[in-house]
Amino acid sequence: MSAIRIASGGRIDRSRAINFRFDGQAYTGHPGDTLASALLANGVTLFGRSFKYHRPRGLLTAGVDEPNALVTVLRDSVREPNVPATTVELYEGLVAESQNRFPSLQFDVSAVNQFAGKFIGAGFYYKTFMGPEFGPLKGTRFWMLCEHFIRRAAGLGRAGLAPDKSRYQRMNAFCDVLVVGSGPAGLSAAAAAADQGANVMLAEIDSRFGGSANWSGETIDGTPASAWASEAVAQLAKRSNVRMLNRTSVWGYYDTNTIAALERVTDHKPMGASGEPRHRHWNIRAGSVVLATGAFERPIVFPGNDRPGVMLASGAMRYANEFGVRTGERIAIFTNNDTAYGAALALKRTGASIVAIVDVRRDASEKARHAASECSAELLTGYAVTATRGGKMLDGIEVQPFDGQRVSGAARKIDADCLLVSGGWSPAIHLASQAGSRPVWDETLQAFLPPQPTENWVGAGAFNGAFQTADAIAEGHAAGLAATGGTNARKLTPPMVEGFAGEPNPAPVFEIKGKGKGKAFVDFQHDVTADDVRLAYTEGFTSAEHLKRYTTLGMATDQGKTSNVPGMAIMAEATGKPIPEVGSTRFRPPFAPVSVGSLAAERFGDLKPERLTPMHDWHLEHGATMYSAGLWFRPMIYGAKGETVEQAYVREAKVVREGVGIVDVSTLGKIAVQGPDAGEFLDRVYTNMFSTLPVGKARYGLMLREDGFAFDDGTTWRLGETEFLMTTTTANAGKVMQQLEYFLDVVWPDLRVHVTSVTDQWAGAAIAGPLSRKVLEACVQGTKVDNDALPFMGIVHGTIDGVNVMICRLSFSGELAYEVYCGANEGTRVWEALMAAGKPFAIVPYGLEALGTLRIEKGHVTGAEIDGRTTARDLHLDWMLSKKKPFIGSAMMDREGLVDENRLQLVGIVPLDNRPINGGAHIVEQLHEDHPMNSIGHVTAMCYSPALGKYIALALVKGGKARRGTRAYVSDPLRKRFGPVEIVSHHFFDPDGSRMHG
Amino acid sequence: MAETLSPLDTVLRAGRYANTAAKIGVTLSEVSPGSIVQVAAWPDTEAKVLEGIAKTTKLKLGGEPGAGAVSGNVAAFGIAPGRFLVISEDEGLADRLLGAIPATVGSVTDLSHGRTAIRIEGEKAEWLLAKFFAVDFSKAKFPVGRGVSTNHHDVFAQIQRRTENCFEVYVFRSFARSFWKALCHGAEENGYEVR
Repeated sequence: MSAIRIASGGRIDRSRAINFRFDGQAYTGHPGDTLASALLANGVTLFGRSFKYHRPRGLLTAGVDEPNALVTVLRDSVREPNVPATTVELYEGLVAESQNRFPSLQFDVSAVNQFAGKFIGAGFYYKTFMGPEFGPLKGTRFWMLCEHFIRRAAGLGRAGLAPDKSRYQRMNAFCDVLVVGSGPAGLSAAAAAADQGANVMLAEIDSRFGGSANWSGETIDGTPASAWASEAVAQLAKRSNVRMLNRTSVWGYYDTNTIAALERVTDHKPMGASGEPRHRHWNIRAGSVVLATGAFERPIVFPGNDRPGVMLASGAMRYANEFGVRTGERIAIFTNNDTAYGAALALKRTGASIVAIVDVRRDASEKARHAASECSAELLTGYAVTATRGGKMLDGIEVQPFDGQRVSGAARKIDADCLLVSGGWSPAIHLASQAGSRPVWDETLQAFLPPQPTENWVGAGAFNGAFQTADAIAEGHAAGLAATGGTNARKLTPPMVEGFAGEPNPAPVFEIKGKGKGKAFVDFQHDVTADDVRLAYTEGFTSAEHLKRYTTLGMATDQGKTSNVPGMAIMAEATGKPIPEVGSTRFRPPFAPVSVGSLAAERFGDLKPERLTPMHDWHLEHGATMYSAGLWFRPMIYGAKGETVEQAYVREAKVVREGVGIVDVSTLGKIAVQGPDAGEFLDRVYTNMFSTLPVGKARYGLMLREDGFAFDDGTTWRLGETEFLMTTTTANAGKVMQQLEYFLDVVWPDLRVHVTSVTDQWAGAAIAGPLSRKVLEACVQGTKVDNDALPFMGIVHGTIDGVNVMICRLSFSGELAYEVYCGANEGTRVWEALMAAGKPFAIVPYGLEALGTLRIEKGHVTGAEIDGRTTARDLHLDWMLSKKKPFIGSAMMDREGLVDENRLQLVGIVPLDNRPINGGAHIVEQLHEDHPMNSIGHVTAMCYSPALGKYIALALVKGGKARRGTRAYVSDPLRKRFGPVEIVSHHFFDPDGSRMHG
Repeated sequence: MAETLSPLDTVLRAGRYANTAAKIGVTLSEVSPGSIVQVAAWPDTEAKVLEGIAKTTKLKLGGEPGAGAVSGNVAAFGIAPGRFLVISEDEGLADRLLGAIPATVGSVTDLSHGRTAIRIEGEKAEWLLAKFFAVDFSKAKFPVGRGVSTNHHDVFAQIQRRTENCFEVYVFRSFARSFWKALCHGAEENGYEVR
């Protein structure tokens, strides 16, 4: 094979040179080249090594169906392996290397594998390495030893370890009609749909719109087809209702016409513009889809069919007509249909010599004979190629007479440096198959055609089996109209198409069983031979799905675009069944490889946005160590220099007990419950009564799930006759909101109640400690805050620093405490005013650790105890279960298992060795450090209590209430913490609540 | 209203960013309406609620999902069945709406502090929004005045088309800074200006 660049023709801009490197060697190409065409033009014929046998491989195709020429593209420090060289657009500075070879592509030591062919056929590793015992290597041990070497010897490219710094983006798009493919059929469909006023998207996998028009060599209405396509594209581009995406592979067809596509935005550029993504993932919702995806030519299976220099006829034709590259000097053709004669003519025009056309059919059509004559080619009808000659490059073929079934007679040698093969055409029905139906076998085309649509799509062109350009244009036009339901478009004048257009209907010949040596490959990418397919049959793997999995036929990056039908045909022959009975595997997404980056897109950060309180920046400026609570960021401690976390929270909690502290409670869920039936609604969702709550008062409430377990707690404030402000735990705000909406929408639609999240409307600060009232008195105007004006659970309205505030006296810490709410945008201002007012009282801000300490001392529960497995009784909240009314959960909360006295119940724990214990540590009755067993419960929260001067914890312990005053042990083998504890009441501090009521 | 603090104050810096070699695709800015108010009707009172909105703002809304209107310094659009978001440059809109819509007719919820309004304006506004939301923002399907409730993962958003190339996005205040950063990041390829 001695390829060269021809002087003119194609899309190549010969006036400009592009420098690139392949396997360390410098080359030049031109704008418009792919890596494959440029290398070919530079005389490179060896592109890679095969998957298993490491056989030398050249180009088979010129497009996305390429199975052999996989390369690794290196950009900066990132390696992208397994990219077909046929799809890599050339750019200045491109660096690529071949793969699956050592030490070099020319000399690959693993090529020795091909001599072990009989021993490493399909599934050899199952039989050879799994099961047998070699000395001490029993069971799977022997496989585990060999696996490493097998995996190293076989495979594709090697991914890099450097992080990919490229940007990937996700786009949503909507259109009335999505046209997939921009060949003559697609362009015609897009124009017809656009004429109807439809919003049209046109997606083309290649860099250049036009599909086969770019290389067919035909003329359409007297204009070269490529120019006709360019004009059609230019016309579409002018329309405001058409969006055109080139370099975009539509790879997935999902329910209700949701389509996935990948746009390669910067792969063809030396460097993207600022902010430009490398790839875009398009999520397209299309009203209807026109599938004009064309067809793939397929090879014929014969011995030696993988030798570099053997390629598909359409590929060579494309290189000649589109890229201006002649693939050989002495070219032979091997075909079972007429289309390859067009390739012969195209290559002849490049100056190549067509040495022979070998046609398996006894009679070629008149058109084909004429073409052969025009090429001055020897026409060998009723012949087949039975062997190829050469090393890493083809230098000849052998042909023998062929009767449609078998070869006979003596082999004749023909010198050739390039063999173009055509085994017929397979419509690219992948997307239609993904959309849900089984393909249909067509005897005339010897191919699977698209099924009847189950989604709203229309097919056109070669996809439908309409291979002639005029037919494709007409079908495209009809499809565009059908997709829009339109009828009033201008009538299509059938175009005049001239050029050689051979009939694609092939003789039903898929394999030539030559007598010569040499493997006959079905799947080039995974080194699956015809013998492998027959081996699968022999071993019982006869269905299409089993065949695929046993031999790996049709797997890997090309997904069997060239191999599936020949593989099915060989299996059909082996089983004696017709091909449609053997079936075809269902095509699955993706149609072509998709970058994982595009699927993740830039959502990795968006998936966990930061949720900030109004005072967030203040906390940072004042030394807070923040940590995340769900999506929220909350201060953990405001540590002084040199303080440990424990020292900081102990200091903060101590100040609250003895003076006054302030904590940001803006994260609490806040839900406006409004409407004439709001009180009734709250009576139903809370275990206790709210309809009787006076305006200007708040009440602590508990919610159960419908199954009777505790769900969430919080205070709800009555702001008006028909308006309540419900607060929830930070963690459960969303769940409570959903639950309330569900009840109103589904269970009680008759209630006139609205719920609205107002969490972000209010900034909240809790002022806690014996001096908290003094702080408020120093800064609140417009209302008194003494015990009469603002009793426990009372609400007043006033101003602080001119800002309207709402103050409720309630306590989570157990101290005299108030929650001050104001509009969120004024939160920092009010917070700073409170800090200023508290300065004379040595107010300190405190974080979640101190907040947790204060609540543990009081025995108040949080999500650690309301964990979805505890009941109100378990948490000693049974006093909140109203007996006067039903409520959510009341019907189920008295089930036998939920009232068992031996359930896990909330207790206090005091470690008798006064050392810290961790949340999650087990409580056991007997200590067995080496064999921990018989857990009776677990620790839910712990702290050092400044009020008590020792470590304390809360725990859930079986029959905990009855165990108060008894001893047990903490058993935490993970952290090796063991020791005696005393089980006590969960009310460690101020059990009668006198401090917060004072 | 006393001096307020926006969650975007520390991240919003006027200037031109990213791909400034290209024509600036979008302009991002924060708008600070005096009032953002949700109005919700009971199942049989939607017409009365619309009357109340019209009486207060002079805006006439259609009943179809997402229907909205923009006029002068007020705007409104449907955000859910029987629910509307009403925005005004003036403060005190909630009180005025309460005067027109008693509890027997519907509920009025002041969200002026709870939502942050971000304006996206320019030729690439639709393009930028398409990166975040699975909504058809084309002029035919999403004309001026139209609104929608949607979300970008955890970030709930209500969006209204104000003019041909201008959208206003209302997000929860606590997510506003994160969302702003994401918007800026998404706008980089087209070049963006912050005002």
